[in-house]
Amino acid sequence: MLSLFLRRAGFSLLSLLLVSFVLFVLTRSIPDSPAHIVLGDEATDAQIAQFDHDHGLDRPILVQYGVWLQRLVFHADLGQSFTTGLQMNTQIGQTLPVTLELVTVAFAVSVVISLVLGTASAVLRDSPIDYGARLIAVLGVSIPGFWLALVLILAFAVDREWFPPGGVSPLSDGWQDHLLSIALPCFCLGAFYMAVLTRMTRSSLLDVLGLDYMRTARASGLHPARVLIYALRNALVPVVTIAGVSFGHMFGWALIIEQVFNINGLSHALLVAIQARDYALVQAVVMVFTLVFVCANLCADLLNATLNPRLASAPA
Amino acid sequence: MTSSEPLLRIDGLHIAFGARDRWRDVVRGVDLRVEAGEVVGLVGESGSGKSLTALSIMRLLPPGARVSSGRLIFDGVDLLALREPAMNTLRGRDIAMIFQDPLTALNPAIPVGRQIFDSIRTHQPLSRKAAQARVEELLDLVGIAHPKERARAYAHELSGGMRQRVMTALAVSSHPKLLIADEPTTALDVTVQAQVMDMLDRIRRELGIAVLFISHNLDLIAQICDRVSVMYAGRVVESGAVEAVFDEPEHPYTRQLLRCIPRLDGGTGKMPTIPGLPPRFGTVLTGCAFAPRCESAQERCAGKEPPIRRAFGHVSVCWEGMA
Amino acid sequence: MRRIVNSCGGAAGFIGACLVFGLVLVALGAPWIAPYDPLHVSIENQLQEPGGAFLFGTDQSGRDVLSRVIWGTRASIEVSAFAVLIGLVFGVSLGLVAGFYRGGWLEQLTMRFLDAIAAIPILIWAIALVGIFGVGDTKLGGITLGNEAKLMILLGLLYIPTLARVTYTTALSESQANYVLARRLQGTSGVRIMFSDVLPNCLSPVIVQGTLLLAIGIIIEASVSFVGLGVQPPTPSWGNMLADARNYLLSGEWWLSVFPGAAISVTVIGFNLLGDGLRDRLDPRHATASLTT
Repeated sequence: MLSLFLRRAGFSLLSLLLVSFVLFVLTRSIPDSPAHIVLGDEATDAQIAQFDHDHGLDRPILVQYGVWLQRLVFHADLGQSFTTGLQMNTQIGQTLPVTLELVTVAFAVSVVISLVLGTASAVLRDSPIDYGARLIAVLGVSIPGFWLALVLILAFAVDREWFPPGGVSPLSDGWQDHLLSIALPCFCLGAFYMAVLTRMTRSSLLDVLGLDYMRTARASGLHPARVLIYALRNALVPVVTIAGVSFGHMFGWALIIEQVFNINGLSHALLVAIQARDYALVQAVVMVFTLVFVCANLCADLLNATLNPRLASAPA
Repeated sequence: MTSSEPLLRIDGLHIAFGARDRWRDVVRGVDLRVEAGEVVGLVGESGSGKSLTALSIMRLLPPGARVSSGRLIFDGVDLLALREPAMNTLRGRDIAMIFQDPLTALNPAIPVGRQIFDSIRTHQPLSRKAAQARVEELLDLVGIAHPKERARAYAHELSGGMRQRVMTALAVSSHPKLLIADEPTTALDVTVQAQVMDMLDRIRRELGIAVLFISHNLDLIAQICDRVSVMYAGRVVESGAVEAVFDEPEHPYTRQLLRCIPRLDGGTGKMPTIPGLPPRFGTVLTGCAFAPRCESAQERCAGKEPPIRRAFGHVSVCWEGMA
Repeated sequence: MRRIVNSCGGAAGFIGACLVFGLVLVALGAPWIAPYDPLHVSIENQLQEPGGAFLFGTDQSGRDVLSRVIWGTRASIEVSAFAVLIGLVFGVSLGLVAGFYRGGWLEQLTMRFLDAIAAIPILIWAIALVGIFGVGDTKLGGITLGNEAKLMILLGLLYIPTLARVTYTTALSESQANYVLARRLQGTSGVRIMFSDVLPNCLSPVIVQGTLLLAIGIIIEASVSFVGLGVQPPTPSWGNMLADARNYLLSGEWWLSVFPGAAISVTVIGFNLLGDGLRDRLDPRHATASLTT
């Protein structure tokens, strides 16, 4: 199992490096260079050359990358933005926790609901619960999160004022307000993945329930609850994989949801960076996204290997 | 033999396949008896309905199949009248089953010892330690070396023969009165087959378990069974003591079947077969279903239901030799 | 009739096909269907409620929402369709060659590289790359690329890993099949075999995946336009209409949000149903990678 994990981790690391390098090269090769942005269009060539030299931008790209990488790995420092001069660690450090909380809460709630709904749907096949769950799933998959957000804001924050229409109330102001303020964003964020995971759980469980070893389990006279666990140990494997992928994707969609709800999260940092043409920050933020995504996938793989040890000895 | 009730009694069992309003009988009136401690064989081709009959005893018919009529009496209890929780208590504890393909029949995500452990703890009030010890005892009983280590193994890490032993251990773990073995050796190599058969025979003697042994292999039936029933197209066409049925078969199907078994002293030349094919699953049948392929068929066989003839415990369903 | 329904993979698939067909018609026929010019500004008519002369109401510049929604169909379907086309052409070729020619380490490397790209959600890539290359027209050689065109190309490139992977998996197993061996023994050239024998068998999962990518494309285009990085106003896109609508959320002009969003939902539902139906019909063993299995 260790070897499998190491191999996966190794590949993930390689992906990270590759992505970071591609982005690094991209952000530093466009004609819209930091020098031009900071010094303006009237800058002379001499001024530009000086700027580049001061910031180490005139060295070969591989060297620049090496320096950046070294600083990141050994000092956990994303460096300084060329255009704003601010420490990117701080900028990201201020906004990441907000997004992280949003995504984590949405993820946790989605997973729990979809497991329950998907299992009930499979076990009570063709019952009203099953039909209801499938209907919700189709809707959840097809209705874009940000439109759902707009509609819900209109319906519950404007017409009825049950929820605040935007922003996140900090915990220091009371946990009730905080929860109310993240309720709508988390719901909109999680709806799609809840639908996906519900469908996945249902179909996977249905597949497993028809297999021979479930017949043996019933023939042994096991309690129905234990029979269900016997099934889930196998059926949850693809669900866990997709859940891992979903966590990373949710981070991406949080970008949009945050914009609708005016939340000061990572997306805000990213979009501000894009507007300010602060490409170093853009790269840094994307790196953070990639890191989250890769970690989530690794955790999912680890969980799967524990759930179903046969996968531990199978090749990646 | 006592004249008390047999352990298992099946009367006029009909099993139908279908959905909503359209049901078609595929098992069409099966009678069967199993006495306590005896081994009864159920022989037939694929599609004859023997597995369905077995599954119906456990009330584990697949979706789309149901018992349309008949009675199943086990140890004096009407199985078909039981509520599901009560039936579930019987499963594993009083009636157990082992299946054909041990690889797909064992949960791939759970160690085999744990699967036996869970079954034991469901039916017996043993502590965890006691149950664990019992698991190892059982694995030893079925002839698995190093039971402690093997208990932690997963199904895919074991050989076919070992898996079948594990399944047997799982099935007998709570001392059932009846063990249904549905083609337990069909998926195994011939050499392993013999070992598993020996193990089954030994276990059932030691534990005094009655066995319903299902197979299409007449040799295995002859080896282990006391009595045998022969099924064709959803009906029992002959039944009786193994010696009687195999030495003096009364039904043409049995006769022709026995003739098909290759023998070392049978000389060379074209091997005998039964011409034609069994009727397609779910077709409506009138008269004797075997008539089209029967070498002693008479005119009336195709149209009229053949009578049941009994003589000294030897039953056959045929027109042959009748007035 | 029954045959058409069956070829779409059942009732749901048929409904999806009808929806998609209808939307394509709307997109093509926009100039004739739309009651008003979507770009026509008339401040005196601004923020009218739905009804009367303006079925869906008007926006903050007095433009008819219905007409803008109809024209927005064009933007969404154009971007989505072209992106999938680009992805198909390059992705399928890549996957086919990689799966058929078995280039050893080069094949492995390519596939790993594509997997690494696919490791980041497309949305993030799209936003980051559009952000980096800048909003607005870019001149490349002699050609001017508008934002819409850039988005199309970008998305198309981002689709390549998925389509390549799907083609690759099928091509790999098909290439080892006996009928391919038979053709090789007949002396048919590799390229011929690849296109005439292996490719047709890869098409089923590719078609299914392509349909689902069309659905995803609609949402991504809308999302990217929503944050201002996609189709630029005044050209109507459902996404940028929703961006405008955001400003009027709290003041109660609900029609600015509801109609464009409903259009997106209906379109996505249509493509999803069609994709699911096609999958049931063409790919019974669920060989395609998808979240919405």
